[in-house]
Amino acid sequence: MQDKELSHQESLALINTMINKAKDSFHSTGVGAMMWGVVVAICALVKLAEIHFRFRLPFDINLLSVVALVPQIILSIRERKKKRAVSYDDAFIGPVWMGFGICLFLLIFIINMMFDGYGPVYREYIQLAGHKPVFQFQEFILPLFLMLYGLPTFITGVGSKFKPMLLGGIICWVSCIIAVFTEVRIDFMLTAFSALTAWFIPGLLMEKEYRRYKKNEGSTDV
Amino acid sequence: MFKELDPILHSQLRLAVVSLLISVKEAEFTFIKEKTGATAGNLSVQLGKLKDAGYIDVTKQFKDNYPLTLCKISKKGVEAFEEYVNALQSYMKPNTDSKD
Repeated sequence: MQDKELSHQESLALINTMINKAKDSFHSTGVGAMMWGVVVAICALVKLAEIHFRFRLPFDINLLSVVALVPQIILSIRERKKKRAVSYDDAFIGPVWMGFGICLFLLIFIINMMFDGYGPVYREYIQLAGHKPVFQFQEFILPLFLMLYGLPTFITGVGSKFKPMLLGGIICWVSCIIAVFTEVRIDFMLTAFSALTAWFIPGLLMEKEYRRYKKNEGSTDV
Repeated sequence: MFKELDPILHSQLRLAVVSLLISVKEAEFTFIKEKTGATAGNLSVQLGKLKDAGYIDVTKQFKDNYPLTLCKISKKGVEAFEEYVNALQSYMKPNTDSKD
C-alpha cells in the first residue's frame, strides 16, 4: 500500500475494507468450548448412570472438570501468544468467563457448606419419621448450575453476535426452569443436553469457521 | 460550506491504519503490516506521523525476547476519525448541503 492521496469515494471504500478486514481477523478456535461441552455432558451422564444403575465410581466424576482446567489453561496461553490484535469482544468476554469460573467455585463452596449443615438434619428426619422428607434440597442444585451456565454463554453470544451461543444460553435457562420441576435424573439429562447445545455445538461451528479462516489467511490483500 | 478534510488522515496508508485501529482495542505492528500490505519502513514512518499528531498511542515492549510494538487509537484519534468520516459524508450528500 502506497501513501497516496485519495478521492472521497476511495476513502470511504478503504475505511469499509479495513474495518471488515479487522472484524474478519478474529476467529477463536472452538476447541475449548467443545471440550467443556463434552466434559460437563460426561460428568452429568455418568452421575445419571450412577443413580440409575445404582453403582458408584471410586472417585467423583466431577473431578474431570478440574482435570480439564489443565488443557484449558494451556489452550488459553497458546491462543494469547498467537494473538496479534485484541478485539473489543476479547476485552470483555475474557473477564466474563473468569467471573463465571469464580461464581462456579463459590456456588460449589456454598452448596457444600449447606450440605454440611443440612446432612445431619436430613438423617435425623429419616430416623424419626421413617421416610425421606418431601422437600429434597438436592433436586434444586442442578437448576442453580444451569442458571449459572446460561449467563456467560448468553453474554458471549450477544456480545460477539454469535447466535448459536446466544441460543445455547437461552437453552440453559429453559432447562433450568424445567429442572426445577423434574427429578434429579431428568435434571442430569437436561444438564448434558444444555452443555452440548450451549458449548459443544457452538464450539464445533467456531472451529469450522476458524479452520476455514486459517486456510484462506494471507490469500487476500488491500 | 464543505468541511476541510484532515490532511493527516487523508492519505491511503494512514487512513487504512486508523480504520483498522478504530475496530480493535490494540494491535501489534505485524498485524497492521499484514492487513495493510505496507512495507515495514513506510508503515513505521506513517505510524510516526499518526503518533506525532496524537492520533495513536505506540507502546514498545518485549515478547519472548523480541521487540514488540503495540498500537492503539487515542481519544483524539477517534474524534479526528469521526470528524473525517462526517466530512466525507457531507461531500457525498446531494448539492443541497453546499448552499450555505
